[in-house]
Amino acid sequence: MRQSEPAVPRPPILLSSCALATSAAEARYRIDAPIEGRQGARVVSLDDGAATLVRRLARLRWNGARFFTLVATPLGPDGSGATHPLDMALHRTDGSTTRLVDELGQADVTVMVATANGNAPAASTIGRACARRGIMTAGLVLGDRGDVGDTVTALRPYAQVLLVTRDEQDVAEVLTALRA
Amino acid sequence: MLKREINELLTQTGPGTPMGEMFRQYWLPALLAEELPENDCPQVRVKLLSERMIAFRDSDGRYGLIDEFCAHRGVSLWFGRNEESGLRCAYHGWKFDVTGQAVEVPSEPENSRFCAHVKLRSYPLVKIGDVLWTHMGDPDNCPPLPEFEFAHVAAEQNYTSKRWQECNWLQAFEGGIDSSHVSWLHAGGLKSDPLFKGSKGNDYNMADFRPFFEVADADGGLFVAARRNAEEHSYYWRITPWVMPSFTLVPPRGDHPMHGHWWVPIDDENCWAYSFDYHPTRPLSTTELEAMRAGHGVHSENIPGTYRPVANKDNDYLMDRDAQRRGEYFSGIKGIAIQDASLQESMGPIVDRAKERLVSADAGIIKARQKLRKAAVALRDQGAVPPGVDPTHHRVRSAAVVLPREEPFIESSRDALTSAPGKPHASV
Repeated sequence: MRQSEPAVPRPPILLSSCALATSAAEARYRIDAPIEGRQGARVVSLDDGAATLVRRLARLRWNGARFFTLVATPLGPDGSGATHPLDMALHRTDGSTTRLVDELGQADVTVMVATANGNAPAASTIGRACARRGIMTAGLVLGDRGDVGDTVTALRPYAQVLLVTRDEQDVAEVLTALRA
Repeated sequence: MLKREINELLTQTGPGTPMGEMFRQYWLPALLAEELPENDCPQVRVKLLSERMIAFRDSDGRYGLIDEFCAHRGVSLWFGRNEESGLRCAYHGWKFDVTGQAVEVPSEPENSRFCAHVKLRSYPLVKIGDVLWTHMGDPDNCPPLPEFEFAHVAAEQNYTSKRWQECNWLQAFEGGIDSSHVSWLHAGGLKSDPLFKGSKGNDYNMADFRPFFEVADADGGLFVAARRNAEEHSYYWRITPWVMPSFTLVPPRGDHPMHGHWWVPIDDENCWAYSFDYHPTRPLSTTELEAMRAGHGVHSENIPGTYRPVANKDNDYLMDRDAQRRGEYFSGIKGIAIQDASLQESMGPIVDRAKERLVSADAGIIKARQKLRKAAVALRDQGAVPPGVDPTHHRVRSAAVVLPREEPFIESSRDALTSAPGKPHASV
């Protein structure tokens, strides 16, 4: 087969029909349609330290993000406190209770927030449930790396993105960047 | 998504801007040493951080970086004569030394003290490795010289090039910590580029298009790691360090040299991409050097006598649709450096980040922006020295390692991520 040669550069017909259209002047012709916020963000704290932060964040204004804490019940065989993983109960930040399976219905990203005591079985349950539904998972682990090693190890298999940070402001930054 | 005012804060680096003041805390690459190859060679125009300057090398081998324009009538000193330990303006013969001090004003009497009160703004210019470095901040707060490994290995172990990129520094830099684009945009290069191909790591790369990412704080910036499945009980980790403000290292492949970048703002709509390859334990081979000079790997083929790539926005980066169809180049653009440059320039001179739709895989970029913003604000409000100024922060390496699945990448790779003279690099 004949190898084709690189295209010979041709003079542009219009400025906007070639790479020169990257100028600031041409930028004003970019379509300026409003961008919808993300509706499917779910934020779940995996321990008490993270729960305080998640409750605080829930009071801010978000596009459609929903915030949850774990229900403190005796752990079942799978460690989640439920007979079936999908029946795993979650607290909304207003104190009412819901089920993981119901909250994942319209979700497109689940952000798990943890400190040094991240609940590994819960992370596993949430991670697996998200994987089955094609929901992206992110883990934000707050604390010094030396103190949160066990939490990081527990989250690693289930969080497609893992951010370990000493700065709790990162949680809000990430959610804002995601238009949560 | 980034608010407009934060986007402006991060992208504007002129004098007096928060990010500009932050850049002025660091030693930055100002030009390649090859641009001033000998004493009394022609001077060079340099624009950095929106300031126009002239760089020259005087009769005694001293380097100078001074205001481009003569103190007398504002003529460009590029037209001047570099002679007898000074740069003489072509208009009326005023002469300046490497510190910007006027040493002769011919129209004044010989014993006049006029010269003593005429001094152009100047910055230090120091050769380390292939690069001439400058510090454009307060001379009383000038930090120790940079200790990046690439600049300190023996000359035969290092090759550095640079290219003009026609967009803001931030969108160029962000490409350096955006690991998820490699499997797409640069997929062809992993198979064919002489400075990339032939490593076991490439097989892992190409077998797993959905890497997991992990971002960890570092004293000088971040470590951004991409994790892929390796064997049954192991992961293949590619770990990219970022040292603030804009130095990144690409994880190595096999015994190929290590490479990385420094992105330096020229002004708010242009930047320099300094690209280097070095091997920590051996000289670069003739074949490797030929490939680098030809624009392979992270380097570019530039228009002779310039640092502008041959493939640039004037010629649509020599788009080759047939090569794109064949899968040779995913974007139809040849060369890893130009693949990056073409897409980053296509975003516009300063991309409007208020219109982005980031995903969680962009966590490294999100975190880097936050660190830059916080450091710039802390410098402005409290005078805090930003991360990456301390030369101990420069002693990092990238790494490509296979680890048991239960092992954390940072702790297990701590030694591999720290540079030391003569230590082999961790590469797969």
